[in-house]
Amino acid sequence: MSSPKGQTIDLASLSTQQLSQVKKQLDDELEHLTNSFTQLRAAQAKFRECLRSISTGVTPKAGDKPILVPLTTSLYVPGTLADKENVIVDVGTGFYVEKSTKDATKFYEGKISELGANLKDLETIVQGKSNNLRVVEDVLRQKVLASSAAPTKA
Amino acid sequence: MAELQQRLQALSEEYQKAEQELQQHIQSRQRLEAQLQENKQVKKEFSGLDDDANIYKLVGPVLLKQDRKESMLAVDGRLEFIDKEIKRFEKQIKEAQEKSDKLKMEIIQVQSQAQPEQGAQA
Repeated sequence: MSSPKGQTIDLASLSTQQLSQVKKQLDDELEHLTNSFTQLRAAQAKFRECLRSISTGVTPKAGDKPILVPLTTSLYVPGTLADKENVIVDVGTGFYVEKSTKDATKFYEGKISELGANLKDLETIVQGKSNNLRVVEDVLRQKVLASSAAPTKA
Repeated sequence: MAELQQRLQALSEEYQKAEQELQQHIQSRQRLEAQLQENKQVKKEFSGLDDDANIYKLVGPVLLKQDRKESMLAVDGRLEFIDKEIKRFEKQIKEAQEKSDKLKMEIIQVQSQAQPEQGAQA
């Protein structure tokens, strides 16, 4: 994140110790990025679930069919939807906005595609990082092999 | 020799403390960034709404109806505050970084003093 860009160092010129440090840093970065990736995925799934709930639950098609409202995880009471056209959407930071189901669907679709774009960006970054990591590991392995093959030379 | 060891110990303890402080500042900075992004999203969402849109605010467990204008002002206020906080933490991060760099240099210096024979061997 803070490493200066546009500065190239020949990996072969680094010592084993430095190389393992670089490897550790890359490992950490990769782990962090992968975690973010999973989190984004989870968020996307959550929005998808919202979309599905709207399309199956809050439509005029649902009619006056009774629904069971969970009061606790094991206690349900019957009820009917008072408003089949509007839903209240969490837009973040504690604000909620009343939207028509159409607008809400649009809102969630926007969120999903936004996250999708982020996921794609992140994926390319993760791939680049794993490539870097592989190269560093290769060089490190060669170094270790070379030094164990010719210990007297060092 | 023992004196140098002692100094080295004190320095490395101080260095560790400085690094910890730096990490804390960085974490706060990350949290602020997340809040900034969230507030930006909300602002964007609000600006796309109709004037008569119903906006609610979560207060404790209940939703309270809010005026659109007031909500927008509240979000703008938050954005301003977060911007200021970010600037403040950036400064603190810079200071902490400088401090830990300085300590690192000192440690290296003391270390090279502590092992002059080894340096001569290599």
